[in-house]
Amino acid sequence: MLQCWRALTLFLLVSAASVFAASSLSFENSAIVRTVDLGGSLVHVTTTFAAKALEPKASAYTITLPEDEIQRTSWLEVKIKGQQQPLTVKYGGAPADGKFYNLDVQLPNPVEVDSTVNIVLETIQTHATYPWPERAAQQDEQSLKYNTTLFVLSPYKTNVQRTKVKSPSPEVRSYTTPKDVDAFTLESPVTKSGATITYGPYNNLPVSATNEWVTKNQQLIGIHYKYDYPVLELTQVKRVAEISHWGANLNIQDDIVLYNAGPELKGHFSRLEHQTQSFYKRAAAHVIPALSLHLPAGIHDVYYYDLVGNVSTSRLRAAPSVPKNSRSNQYSVMELRPRYPLLGGWNYTFTLGWDSPLADSASYDASTGKYIVQVPIMTDVPGSVVNECEVKIILPEGATDVEHVLPFPAVSTEESTHITYLDTLGRPVITFKYKNLTTKHAKPIYVSYKVPSSAHLRKPVAVATALLGLFVFGMFARRVDLTLHKKTA
Amino acid sequence: MSTAYPLPTNLSTTTVTNTASLLRIVALGLISAAAIASRLFAVINFESIIHEFDPWFNYRATRVLASQGFYEFWNWFDPTAWYPLGRVVGGTVYPGLMATSGVIYNFLHAFHLPVDIRNICVLLAPGFSALTAWATYMFTKEMKDESAGLLAAAFIGIVPGYISRSVAGSYDNEAIAIFLLMFTFYCWIKALKTGSALFGTLAAVFYFYMVAAWGGYAFITNMIPVHALTLMLMGRFSSRLYVAYCSWYAIGTLSSMQVPFVGFQPVRTSEHMGALGVFGLLQIVAFAQLARSHLSSKQFQNLLTVSVVAMGVVGTFGFIALTYMGWIAPWTGRFYSLWDTGYAKKYIPIIASVSEHQPTAWPSFFMDLQLLIFLFPAGVILCFRELRDEHVFVIIYSVVASYFAGVMVRLMLTLTPVVCVSSAVAFSSLIDTYLDPTQPEGEEESEADSSNGTNTAATPSKKEKAKKPAASTSALNDIVTAATSQSSSKSKSKGIWGLDTRLIVIVNAIGMLSFFVFHCTWVTANAYSSPSVVLASTNPDGSQHIIDDFREAYYWLRQNTPQDAVVMSWWDYGYQIAGMADRPTLVDNNTWNNSKSHIATVGKAMSSSEEVAYPILRKHDVDYVLVIFGGLLGYSGDDINKFLWMVRIAQGVWPDEIQEPNYFTPQGEYRVDDRASSAMKNSLMYKMSYYRFAELFGGNNAMDRVRQQTMPKVGPTLDYLDEAFTSENWIVRIYQVRKEDLLGRDLKSANAFAQGKKKKKSKPVSRRKAIPV
Repeated sequence: MLQCWRALTLFLLVSAASVFAASSLSFENSAIVRTVDLGGSLVHVTTTFAAKALEPKASAYTITLPEDEIQRTSWLEVKIKGQQQPLTVKYGGAPADGKFYNLDVQLPNPVEVDSTVNIVLETIQTHATYPWPERAAQQDEQSLKYNTTLFVLSPYKTNVQRTKVKSPSPEVRSYTTPKDVDAFTLESPVTKSGATITYGPYNNLPVSATNEWVTKNQQLIGIHYKYDYPVLELTQVKRVAEISHWGANLNIQDDIVLYNAGPELKGHFSRLEHQTQSFYKRAAAHVIPALSLHLPAGIHDVYYYDLVGNVSTSRLRAAPSVPKNSRSNQYSVMELRPRYPLLGGWNYTFTLGWDSPLADSASYDASTGKYIVQVPIMTDVPGSVVNECEVKIILPEGATDVEHVLPFPAVSTEESTHITYLDTLGRPVITFKYKNLTTKHAKPIYVSYKVPSSAHLRKPVAVATALLGLFVFGMFARRVDLTLHKKTA
Repeated sequence: MSTAYPLPTNLSTTTVTNTASLLRIVALGLISAAAIASRLFAVINFESIIHEFDPWFNYRATRVLASQGFYEFWNWFDPTAWYPLGRVVGGTVYPGLMATSGVIYNFLHAFHLPVDIRNICVLLAPGFSALTAWATYMFTKEMKDESAGLLAAAFIGIVPGYISRSVAGSYDNEAIAIFLLMFTFYCWIKALKTGSALFGTLAAVFYFYMVAAWGGYAFITNMIPVHALTLMLMGRFSSRLYVAYCSWYAIGTLSSMQVPFVGFQPVRTSEHMGALGVFGLLQIVAFAQLARSHLSSKQFQNLLTVSVVAMGVVGTFGFIALTYMGWIAPWTGRFYSLWDTGYAKKYIPIIASVSEHQPTAWPSFFMDLQLLIFLFPAGVILCFRELRDEHVFVIIYSVVASYFAGVMVRLMLTLTPVVCVSSAVAFSSLIDTYLDPTQPEGEEESEADSSNGTNTAATPSKKEKAKKPAASTSALNDIVTAATSQSSSKSKSKGIWGLDTRLIVIVNAIGMLSFFVFHCTWVTANAYSSPSVVLASTNPDGSQHIIDDFREAYYWLRQNTPQDAVVMSWWDYGYQIAGMADRPTLVDNNTWNNSKSHIATVGKAMSSSEEVAYPILRKHDVDYVLVIFGGLLGYSGDDINKFLWMVRIAQGVWPDEIQEPNYFTPQGEYRVDDRASSAMKNSLMYKMSYYRFAELFGGNNAMDRVRQQTMPKVGPTLDYLDEAFTSENWIVRIYQVRKEDLLGRDLKSANAFAQGKKKKKSKPVSRRKAIPV
């Protein structure tokens, strides 16, 4: 989500950048350890900076990320090691025509000279891997490739740094051996043990966040590894949440475009082979036969259909409703099978929706007279990325003073009206758009609004008026005589 | 006068009238509810889905109308049908059905009721069946009385013969056409009875609606003139007939010509000439009547008669001459097949290949009508008793519709309403007789009145009428009072004594009715409520298992092939592919103008060998070929079972290349196992159906469960097509047509090369095999 975050805050923070402008003298990295957890659609990268303060009361630390990495980072969090509270991160601008960007981290407590603080940067990268070979036949295995830069850049001197790349399976097809790194290490520049490939340790790096250093020393490394799970991509998710006070119901409906981002199918799909594979329980890694989703507890009337009608191949194990704010781990499990197994490069679209008691996700604040409703941004499909997400929250008719709180900023927010069954004026709608969402983004949006009691009565009054009008018309119409000639008896 | 059971005496006539009218309204409401509810089996058992084949096109067209408006629909050119010709949809459909749904859709949306267009389409037929029940009530009321009307409404509401074409999801023209048919007839009868130009015009308006909705409008176009002609021949010409017919014909014909698909047919084709002729005849007769009323000369009257006959003869010859000169189109093939059931099979195999165009089997009469089938003649005979003008109509209708229903299964639908009407007349006469509380008086009087015996069965109902003057319509009133005044003056001599005899008959009648209800429910639930897009079977634990192969494959096509990929399949699936897969098709269920050669091309491609079929496929830009194969599951409606029709239709155009006998074994059997003929084994259809089928059985004998034949261990191979998709139960198999080899080899040798040298030995053999075809 960083791109959007950046777009929004860019102007505000250009000035701030000068304030934070980190002098390369304030810190020294005694160690940098970067761990890359390879996956399918998502790659988790955790970088730990052990920073030693060189100046008294150093309180701003700068992290540098290369441009392509920042492009594919969709979620980012900085913490002090061992603490829960994330730190404030501000975009620190990029040096002139630099290929990297600075992030300024505000430390909670100023660091004394010579004491060390461990800063943990956690990011999730999306669309960072790609299938290689790009096409695979039905029985073939699935391998992915991941590229990254060898050195972690820093505006400070670094004593030692290393990068660990963890592959999900020990079958690593190939990995790059860096060249010309004798300046930093005397041992082997890369070692592999099991599923882990370690680059480094590299010692005594100077200030690396400069253009000339990058051009001279930085290089790309690639890992080609076997991946045993399907690579899922939700190309588009449109969520509509409709709040009904009369029905005490929160209806959530997702229109989802599913895409298998694994290697494209080479040749054609053979049902015979697919049936043989599933009969002998050796399903190919890049075939998605089914999805298992965790839906909220207490839901009912779940529906799953696509453009040609109901899809009968699904199972739901619904959990009973849990009280609000309770730390219960209960959820309903939806086993969802597309109409056909999804092979590499295939699409499937479907609509999934359910009703849930409004009381499970809404409450009334008597002091302000406002209702507060929480709507999750998305349903987490494990290990998948949502390319585009649109969340539409439809409030009850006549809702006023609408405010919302987002867990992270949206690309765009729109307000409109929506007219549904027997509405007279329509309902206020807020639409949020997001891009590249991951597991970490499945958080609720909070919306608060007031509904005057007259608005509650609008619908019955409208219907009653219409019927009354009809009856009055009928009463008069019956009594009007339009015959031209009176019938003679 | 003694009564069989005590009657309340302290009721005022207004109380009786009001109660009766309330009961009627409640009964009609319940009948409508039953009519709608019994059609919902399909929705409850499956889902709200469009059924079968043609409804998919209607649904697709309706969606265009609902989303883009009427004018867009009117001008809609569908480039995906009949690739590469396309189809001018606005000019080649009966738009009544789509327009109806569109109006309902817009009406509901105007009131902020955003009902999905699919649900409107699915529920249109049940909704209109309630209206049909009401129209039948009105119609039968004109024949006899309200109680017969209610019975008729109840019959038509649940009779399987009508339900078969109007279950929820069966979104076809017939869904609204039967209502329009009955209501037009009602307006016609009403106009005829009262001589009202208003009702004549109403009949014309509903006739126009009917023309816009269903090709079967020709039935009305000919029924009403035949009725008018018969009345004239019976010497029943009256100014009422003149007003009714002229207002109906003039307005009805002019308005029907506004439907683009009909256009000038009402004045240019033979099917419509009868109506025009009767119209002319009416003018002549009316003029003759006028002349006679002014000049009461016997000779002049004779002269007029002669001139009438002469004009009739001149008119007929003029019609024949015009036909020969080409001004009037001769009868179409479909029309001939109504008179000669073997005609279609000989000359138009495409019509004969449709199962609903087959002659009706006897059991289906009972299946569709049950007890009504033997009440029906009784009702027709009862019509002869009074033989008023409207009874003549029912009699003609019965005769004509019975014949047509015997010729074609689908025309069962037009027979059903008249069966319901006349059965209701018969049944309500029976009930009237046995519910009538009056006991006959002494025996000596009964003998004196025995000459009047034929009338007695009809009179009790009239008598009841007299007790409660409930008849609301003025037209009925005077007839009833006329009838009752004479019958009430006489005392009854024949009738039923006691309560027990009455009870026996009434209980029996009620028993019959309840069996009818059970039968209808059973038939509806089991025979007529399958969407045929979705199949149902039962799991070992008794739960329902849905076999959804069609939608699986169509959806795969929709999601994973290019938008403009052309799909070839047998024409049955054209509408479904267009509707669900949204892909261009070579042929579809609209068997119009040059369909013959187009469909024959597909038939030829399917029935010839790969080498012959491949150029045809490439010439028509075919990307995918879709076949339906039921051998794994035992689904008998598959393409191998329809294959002979493809062969026949292809043979009709290319008799030198395709010959039907080649597809049978020398013994004349239709086989698909290793005894199958070589033409069969090499045909594209056979190869696509059984490609890799035997491998599924892992070395065991592969069994085709439809044909109950054991398949050879080594299945057919394909060189020019690739298997692209096969659905879960192998019902739908989709093949991709290969592009030409890049090196210019023919695909067969390219394939053999790709598979390695070892194939080389077998290659010449397979080549030699291919040559005899």
